[in-house]
Amino acid sequence: MSERTITLLDIFGPVMIGPSSSHTAGVARIAFMARKIFPYPLDRAKVSFHGSLAKTYKGHGSDKAAVAGLLGILPEDERLGYALELAEREGLSYEIVAVADGPERYHPNTAVIELWSGDKSIRIRGASIGGGEIRLQSVGGFEANLDGSLDAILVLHKDEIGVIAIVSHILAASRFNIASVASHRKDKGDEALLVVEVDGVVPSSIVAQIRDLPSVREVVYVPSIRA
Amino acid sequence: MNWKFSTVVELLDRAREAGLSLPAYLLARESFYSGKGEDELRAELARRIRVTKTALDRGIREPQRSFSSMTDGGAAKLAHGEAWPVEDELFRRALAYSLSINEVNACGGKVIAFPTAGSCGVAPGLLWAYRDARDPSLGPDSPRFQDAFVVASAVGMLIALRATLAGSAGGCQAECGAAAAMAAAGLAFLLGEEPEGCFDAAALSLKNCLGLACDPVAGLVEVPCAKRNAFMAANALTAVCLRRAGISSVIPFDEVVGAMKAIGDAMPAAIRESAEGGLAATPTGMSFRAKIQ
Ligand code: SF4
Repeated sequence: MSERTITLLDIFGPVMIGPSSSHTAGVARIAFMARKIFPYPLDRAKVSFHGSLAKTYKGHGSDKAAVAGLLGILPEDERLGYALELAEREGLSYEIVAVADGPERYHPNTAVIELWSGDKSIRIRGASIGGGEIRLQSVGGFEANLDGSLDAILVLHKDEIGVIAIVSHILAASRFNIASVASHRKDKGDEALLVVEVDGVVPSSIVAQIRDLPSVREVVYVPSIRA
Repeated sequence: MNWKFSTVVELLDRAREAGLSLPAYLLARESFYSGKGEDELRAELARRIRVTKTALDRGIREPQRSFSSMTDGGAAKLAHGEAWPVEDELFRRALAYSLSINEVNACGGKVIAFPTAGSCGVAPGLLWAYRDARDPSLGPDSPRFQDAFVVASAVGMLIALRATLAGSAGGCQAECGAAAAMAAAGLAFLLGEEPEGCFDAAALSLKNCLGLACDPVAGLVEVPCAKRNAFMAANALTAVCLRRAGISSVIPFDEVVGAMKAIGDAMPAAIRESAEGGLAATPTGMSFRAKIQ
């Protein structure tokens, strides 16, 4: 994965509803991205707070922030303040859990989001690393390093030779600049997750071409959360 | 063009190689990464600067009272109080404005995390205070005022790159300490300092915050956070006064950031935003925790 760039508007931002960039804005962004990665009608959601978030989430409104993110509300939006009421109105079934002694290796501000829809489910682990910046460090059992700064294409595929090359070729043929490519797999010969970050917005017709590749199982397009 | 840097030395080299001023280089870089044109970026800067002003005005006009009652209209008192010991408009406004923005944040209002929400009052508070007390020609749409926010952001970027901006990782030196360094650089810029002078003011300010605990009472971003924004505005102002008098930091900015990182790494978790140590663990702190839970 390429070295992360920090930009001016990352530091002078985000525009947000208080009180905490890491515990309110960052959490809303993690949940928002989780929802983009798992864009199915939700039966149920579970948010587990670890570390400092576990201890202080109530006072920071991290619960509201997480629910807001799940509802597709970003930190800048005043609706974040009454996200719990909105969830009630929209019939979102969710659970918030504070985990007192989670794994040591987790970042001190970690939120784990689990989502269920029909027979599908996903577990996403995100770290809120300060100033509203986030990293999704685990997606559906794969290690990852997504920060939402660029649009990303997530390709779940059978771990076969050539997938990375073909996906890169499709994007290059349509003149998309690939900012980073990272391939994550659980076991050789099994499934792999390809994460491609691109400059600009890739149209759905190109995403469909990737989806149609024989060894591809699933493709999601995750737009940038950078304002 | 080369857009990579992780120290002031590299950053200033990059700008020089590009033949651009520091703010112009940073805007060009922003444009490169975001794909947005410079006009669009300047419009976004103006929009964000306006958000800081709206928050500032709100906290002074309407005393901010939080759910926990720990935030209780301090900025309004500071701005309008009669017994005022220091005869200086810039100083008084700096304290009131910085506190005001942060009280609005504590009460769930709209702010700009700069670099974080808990420290969001310091730099805008000081820069607006300078504008109101000394130079009314400045404003959200004036490029020079925008550039002051850009220079302040550069300080935050360098701290983020080599240390951290999260209280949970590095204590409050990483939030309010960073904010003070950013404010100092921004004000030094408005006073006509060259970039080296801006980063020197930032170094002076940051040195004075090293080791600062993050021990928010009941885990809320209120105590000590909100009032600390006012104190940090004064810290930044002091750094700029020293710099203007020709006093330099013995330890250069890049090394101060290295020290900040080492100190943050050595800090116990109890004073890194866990709300388990320091002020949060005092009898009064604990009673507020019990009250809100
Ligand atoms: S004390 Fe902690 S929560 Fe408060 S501003 Fe400082 S770093 Fe942020």
